[in-house]
Amino acid sequence: MHDRRFRFGVACSKGRSRHDFTELARKAEALGYSTLFVPDHFVEHDLAPTVALAHAAAVSDQLRVGTFVLGNDYKHPVVCAREMASLDLLSDGRLELGIGAGWMTADYEKAGIPLDRPGVRIARLAEAITVMKGLFAPGSFTFHGDYYRVTDLDGMPKPVQQPLPFFVGGGAPKILALAAREAQIVGINANLRSGDGTSPDAARSMTPEATDRKIGWVRDAAGDRFDDLELQALVGFVYVTDDSKRVLEGIANAFGVSVEDARVAPPCLVGSEDEIVASLEERRERWQMSYHVVDDVAIDTFAPIVARLAGK
Amino acid sequence: MKPFRFGVQVSQVGSASEWRDKARKLEDLGFSTLFMPDHFGPELAPLPAIAMAAAHTTTLRVGSLVFDNDYKHPAILAKEAATIDLLCDGRLELGIGAGWMRTDYDQLGLPYDPPAVRVDRFEEALHVIKQCLTGEQFTYHGEHYRITDYAAWPKPVQQPRPPLLIGGGGKRVLSIAAREADIVGINPNLRAGEIGLEAAKDSLREQTDRKVQWIRDAAGARIDDIEIQMRFFVTRVTPDRMKLAEALAPSFGVSAAEALESGAALVGTEDEIAEQLHRRREKWGLSYVVVGDENVDEFAPIVAKLAGT
Repeated sequence: MHDRRFRFGVACSKGRSRHDFTELARKAEALGYSTLFVPDHFVEHDLAPTVALAHAAAVSDQLRVGTFVLGNDYKHPVVCAREMASLDLLSDGRLELGIGAGWMTADYEKAGIPLDRPGVRIARLAEAITVMKGLFAPGSFTFHGDYYRVTDLDGMPKPVQQPLPFFVGGGAPKILALAAREAQIVGINANLRSGDGTSPDAARSMTPEATDRKIGWVRDAAGDRFDDLELQALVGFVYVTDDSKRVLEGIANAFGVSVEDARVAPPCLVGSEDEIVASLEERRERWQMSYHVVDDVAIDTFAPIVARLAGK
Repeated sequence: MKPFRFGVQVSQVGSASEWRDKARKLEDLGFSTLFMPDHFGPELAPLPAIAMAAAHTTTLRVGSLVFDNDYKHPAILAKEAATIDLLCDGRLELGIGAGWMRTDYDQLGLPYDPPAVRVDRFEEALHVIKQCLTGEQFTYHGEHYRITDYAAWPKPVQQPRPPLLIGGGGKRVLSIAAREADIVGINPNLRAGEIGLEAAKDSLREQTDRKVQWIRDAAGARIDDIEIQMRFFVTRVTPDRMKLAEALAPSFGVSAAEALESGAALVGTEDEIAEQLHRRREKWGLSYVVVGDENVDEFAPIVAKLAGT
């Protein structure tokens, strides 16, 4: 059963040089963040996650490293599994394997990768997770699915962590059900069916009521597993201020939601340190959400809150 | 004539601390480059491993020997390569090949296309990778890859790009390497899909002479900019080279004298090996010598003597 203690991650949006990225990893570790995450897109200015996480693990001791998240359609799961297991081995068991069905339309179009409909992408992700888990387990593995065909392959190396924690996030019933069945960490995200993370559709899918529904889908699909899952949210907007009313009104107007919705929505944390601490406790109470990830631009402003809550 | 430098191809890694120590040891011993292969046997994935080796060192170069083009989309490989080069301050050597090991393809369920198709695809991938590494926006609609209005990021530290390493044993791939690569690896021809007798015989002196000629013909004026590399699979520091050759030669179906002159063998005392390397550099232009992990200690004095000369 998961203890629901708070922990916090930082999502890297910038890594402009060896020096900057090394400092980011060391700072995240020193400030008490649990995990450094690196996203996986072509079109954004992201570092390649496998490489960046290997570097981050090499320059830190305790910091966990995670993919945020791998787009399943970008690599064959056997290739991916071997890279992830190697990363886990070489980091002495500090990897969190975040993987998703792929959604950012621009990535697919620019690289010429066919963008299938969501149902197909999710079915393929489910097979990919089966393949990776099969390769991480002892012995030789064979799998003949609709999308992947692996024959008598003993995956090497094996990850240090058994089981290696999978992190799967989403905002719609099918993907959250898959996450609830297969992952250790479930991300409660926006619905990204529009292919654009900043669309009004994505924003409206993050209201507290919508989040209640998502937690319900996870609970239904997880069954007895629900208590073992760690629930995570990406907090894309952190604003430490003594005038939360003004900021929340601005967000509410921009996204067409109520002020109260903006205050409680998982992607937003606005207020004084005390207000933010109270809000995080409220979210844990309501949704069992205990793992929050902030963007690296907020690493310093959010640090006092990490100091107060991490491990509590 | 290019100065000698030495690389080590490592495939087995036990733990994080062992790997860190190995990378630092190679750097201390004066080896230029740590290479990793890219197969699905009992080997680590090259990408995170070389990234980590680079993080633990400051001057050691790191590279793939070689990435198989068919495992990944070239735009992804290019992004990964550029990220390594950025995070190691410009120490990557990007080795890439058309793919050859049959068992890898069968285990992954990837189609093992005829060599001509794999090499066609590889040529397109080279174009895509080179374009990606410029960081400029480009469009490329080939038979195998379709890239539209894409500007890759990050830009590698090494400009115009990290050295591209292409190895081969057949005329077509060596000609491509001579035209496109900064480092050309002379390998046995692996059309059989495995390293066996055919590959061993293809490393003999005459075959190597012929390969060097293909490279020179295709390279034209570029030849002076190219480093020639060979991976030596039979390497032994021994006082009695003939005795070892007589023991080894029959299993490869060649004479002892032929075995000693083979492009895959480097056998003898330290002085004899140094002399062979000088001779091969004059004859073949070979200056970039790659040995296996098991040869590091016995080869260290030769590296100390020859590296950079």
